[in-house]
Amino acid sequence: MSVSNHSGSNHSGSDLLAPGAHGAVGGEPVRIALRSCDVVQVLARKGRAGDVAAALLGALGLVLPGPGHAADGRGASALWVQPEGWFVVAPRGADGALASAIKAACGDAASVIDQSHGRAVVSISGTRAAWVLAKSCRVDLHPSAFGPGRVASTQLFHLAATLHQTDAVPSFDLIVFSTFLRSFLESLTHAAEETGYVVA
Amino acid sequence: MTQPFRTRAGGQIDRTVTLSFRFDGKVYAGHPGDTLASALLANGVRLVGRSFKLHRPRGIYAAGAEEPNALAELRTGARREPNTRMTQIELYAGLEAASQNRWPSLRWDLLSLNGLIAPVLSSGFYYKTFMWPASFWEKVYEPLIRRSSGLGRAAGLADPDRYDTVNAHCDVLVIGAGVAGLAAALVAGATGARVMLCEQDFLLGAGLVGQDDGWREATLAALAAMANVTLLPRTNVFGAYDANVVGAVERVADHLPEPPPHTPRQRYWTIRAGTIVHATGAHERFIAFPDNDRPGVMLAGAAATYVARYGVKPGNRALLFANNDAAYLSLFTLHDAGVVMAGIVDPRAESPAQAAARARGITVWSASQVIGTSGALALTGARIARVGSAGTDTLVAADLLLVSGGINPAVQLASQSRTPLDWSEPLATWVPGVPVLAQFSAGAANGVSGLREAAADGARSGAAASGGDAAIALPEDVPADATVLPLWEVKGRGKAFVDIQDDVTANDIRLAAREGYKHIEHAKRYTTHTMGTDQGKSGGLVGAAVLAEARGETVQNVGMPTFRPFTSPVTWGAIAGANIGKHFAPTRLSPLHDWHVKRAAVFMDAGQWLRPAYYPAPVDSDGWDSVLREARAARRGVAVCDVSTLGKIDVQGRDAARFLDRLYTNTFSNLAIGRARYGLMLREDGIVFDDGTTSRLAQDHFFVTTTTANAGPVMQHMEFYLQTVWPELDVTLASVTDQWAAMSIAGPKSRATISKIVDGLDLSNEAFPFMAVADATVRGCAVRVFRISFSGEMAYEIATPAGHAETVWRAVLEAGEEFGIEPYGVEALGLLRIEKGHVTGAELNGQTTAADVGLEKMFKKRGDFVGRVLAQRPGLTDAARPRLVGLRPVTRGEQMRAGMHLVETGSSHSLGWITAVTRAVELDGWIGLAMLENGASRIGSRMQAASPLHGALVDVEIVSPHFVDPENARVRV
Repeated sequence: MSVSNHSGSNHSGSDLLAPGAHGAVGGEPVRIALRSCDVVQVLARKGRAGDVAAALLGALGLVLPGPGHAADGRGASALWVQPEGWFVVAPRGADGALASAIKAACGDAASVIDQSHGRAVVSISGTRAAWVLAKSCRVDLHPSAFGPGRVASTQLFHLAATLHQTDAVPSFDLIVFSTFLRSFLESLTHAAEETGYVVA
Repeated sequence: MTQPFRTRAGGQIDRTVTLSFRFDGKVYAGHPGDTLASALLANGVRLVGRSFKLHRPRGIYAAGAEEPNALAELRTGARREPNTRMTQIELYAGLEAASQNRWPSLRWDLLSLNGLIAPVLSSGFYYKTFMWPASFWEKVYEPLIRRSSGLGRAAGLADPDRYDTVNAHCDVLVIGAGVAGLAAALVAGATGARVMLCEQDFLLGAGLVGQDDGWREATLAALAAMANVTLLPRTNVFGAYDANVVGAVERVADHLPEPPPHTPRQRYWTIRAGTIVHATGAHERFIAFPDNDRPGVMLAGAAATYVARYGVKPGNRALLFANNDAAYLSLFTLHDAGVVMAGIVDPRAESPAQAAARARGITVWSASQVIGTSGALALTGARIARVGSAGTDTLVAADLLLVSGGINPAVQLASQSRTPLDWSEPLATWVPGVPVLAQFSAGAANGVSGLREAAADGARSGAAASGGDAAIALPEDVPADATVLPLWEVKGRGKAFVDIQDDVTANDIRLAAREGYKHIEHAKRYTTHTMGTDQGKSGGLVGAAVLAEARGETVQNVGMPTFRPFTSPVTWGAIAGANIGKHFAPTRLSPLHDWHVKRAAVFMDAGQWLRPAYYPAPVDSDGWDSVLREARAARRGVAVCDVSTLGKIDVQGRDAARFLDRLYTNTFSNLAIGRARYGLMLREDGIVFDDGTTSRLAQDHFFVTTTTANAGPVMQHMEFYLQTVWPELDVTLASVTDQWAAMSIAGPKSRATISKIVDGLDLSNEAFPFMAVADATVRGCAVRVFRISFSGEMAYEIATPAGHAETVWRAVLEAGEEFGIEPYGVEALGLLRIEKGHVTGAELNGQTTAADVGLEKMFKKRGDFVGRVLAQRPGLTDAARPRLVGLRPVTRGEQMRAGMHLVETGSSHSLGWITAVTRAVELDGWIGLAMLENGASRIGSRMQAASPLHGALVDVEIVSPHFVDPENARVRV
């Protein structure tokens, strides 16, 4: 039998985000944090995008954004992730509650899939955040090409990721598959050692 | 520590600081701003290496990337880097470097005797000379050639430094920071465009460095003040790719003894540019004349650079051999610095520069050429003769011979970008034509000479590239006329090199032509011409011209070898970047990973996943003990396995059932809500693709599982058909592999176990039969319970949102404690499935049909599905195809191996192969699965399993692949 001798550390990678300052000192460190969020995938059924838009406007005050964009509503944001498909992201609430609310609003106009356990949200913020991301990210994050409210589905550190710029600092939410979270944090924190990074 | 060849003043060096460094173990001194090459010249070091093949003594020949000779092993130990150009190594305190290709020492190189047997070492020699006897090649010839040729030695130790990659975007990329590049960047920057300026040198300004009129400093200050301009010194753009994407390497910390903490040594840039300005300058080319490689022969412009930029006199008594007026300026720079003038040899009858030289009192031999050089380890003089004269020649004493055959615009990157090259008659060289992409060439790279002209050309390009314009100051003019009288080769006795680094002579090129390698690309490969670290920057065109003469054609008709990346060597470290070790590929961890670690599981890689292979216990004496213990628990009591890695796809929509009917060989539209069904999927070509269970959660909602390995490919397959083939279907797809953790509870006590913890669901066999699916809770966590079995035992799968995985898992273990529950890993899982005769990737290996693995009954009677048509091909329906069978050794204790071939006793003709073996728990000894020709009809017979690799031969009995419960009764009780 072929056996691997690396036993790995914890699944969530929380040990990689020990509070404090890491990496280079004296520069402008970035801030890295795990955000506790609900993520619900909403996919409009054929020909029902209008109904979905009306339902989410009513339920969460969300004006569903088009490709490459995000929109904020009442306590939740919608991120365009595929044709007639969005992630609705909100601070972590009762298990399954956000998905249930959205399903109730959309009825059979949408497939509503709770991904709150299947996706992890990592935030990176600071004047050099775009530099750290550029080590892996091919998307142009310069203010002239990207900005707050912009979204890209792309690859970061060999992984599929949804990148959402949340403010002009700049700050970014990086949404990745939760089973890859540890690997993702290993590479992200390694990349951030050059600028230094702070975990609150 | 004197520096006898340092001028008293001048140069862009800091004379107030002295740096100590070692070359070949000897200590020397230099100054900040020096390169290793300039510091060695300042110390009078003329001999810096031995040539690649012939081990001829060589000196510093150039002042930049085109250097063919002065290659060093830089640094020591794990940081040793071979083949670095001394002309580009920035001097730092404590630098250590060593010359290459000398044995036993630089001065006494025994292998220089190769020069005496040179006729044997002509081009292509390794194809011809070492042919016989064949066995000598590996044992004698190759090691000998490798010792005596090749370049420097790699460190052979793990590189202790980090490397990094970065992606960048800009409106205008300016490559090269000479006068044209600086002007282009300044204009483009002034328009507000995002500008990047890459320069391979550590100082910006190229030829202006050290002889500045103030324009360079003012321009650099203006650029530094522009927030929209990124200046990247020490950054070589090595390749141009499609759509204005270029690759570059920044030598972030190569000029320091060690990189500071967390700082990469080198950074690999991928730059996506709107427009590109190639301001890459030009390389001076040499002339091939006999013994043109002797230490002391140097490109004319390089010699001037050593004087003006570094304050170093590269020799005491200089002779110039040039066919153009521009090169005279180089000699005048030396003259002004006090170097003794031996004279000028010029094939042209007369020129304005010749008159200017005579006015300076410098002897000019017009209509003459250098026909040879004298000296041993250093130049002592040159023999000159009138062009066309068969008479006597003159020996002129000189320790420095400056050579210029004209200039070659550095068109490498433009040419890689598909810009055609045009022939310039006045310059006798290739210049960029009309670009294909949004690019410009400017300054010397565009064939423009003269400082002011080059700056103006750069400014025009910067404006055009940015789509704006801005007025900028131009530097004072230094007019230069680069027009040449073409002169490629002076024939005579002695080796006339066209590629000094690769030891390729003009005669080698003619030999290639004679032997039929007449195409420039063939001649290149036959002779290794232009294949060194310098990529033929100084001699590529010279060799092409020699080939042209041999072919009786013009040089422009012969062309140049295709320019390709890399323009200069790039280290493997930079290419790998940060993607080494655990950063090479991501690892995927189950939500139960932490529990497995705490339980001290032995892990194995399963694709990207890390899965428990087995869980050792104190009672186990080896891994097999653990695996057998875990499997026995599943057969006799209860055991639980983490199956979170299975692919899971949420399929919804009015047409979801129809969609699955078209993808799977069997039918799902008639599946009842709350029931699961095993499904088989084919590729378009009729070969089995994947299998798994699909559950119907609602009329329009299915939950599909795939094998761990095919989770991604099945999702792609579904997306492809939905998006391109059946876009009219109302179906949505979502990967929920990560959302749901899953565990399989198997064994006769599985129902008794989970009944204790599953709330809100009647688990009796009547209420929840085999293949039932329902939602419930465990310890308050939402779960989905499936009555499905892979082991062949009564079994349940419990899925729960990943964050609840450990809560539910622990509840199962506690509930099963009274039945002796064991967690089981992938190895026991494999054992159980082999006993049951269930197929996995070992059998569904991309070559097998449904019938091959005994699943032909999975084909629905009516209706089409992907793969149905091509599954009917005669080759796939041949009854003699290898078919799944079971195996047992006749002597039960004998071990079989996966991969063994099945043969008739005494035969060596393979009739099949073993796909999987295991020690069994329901039977004695080893069992196995195999694919065997006419397998069904051989059941009951005996064959032999052979592994010649292991010298193993086992008598085996062919049996049904279903070793356990072939009636499948256990899953239904």
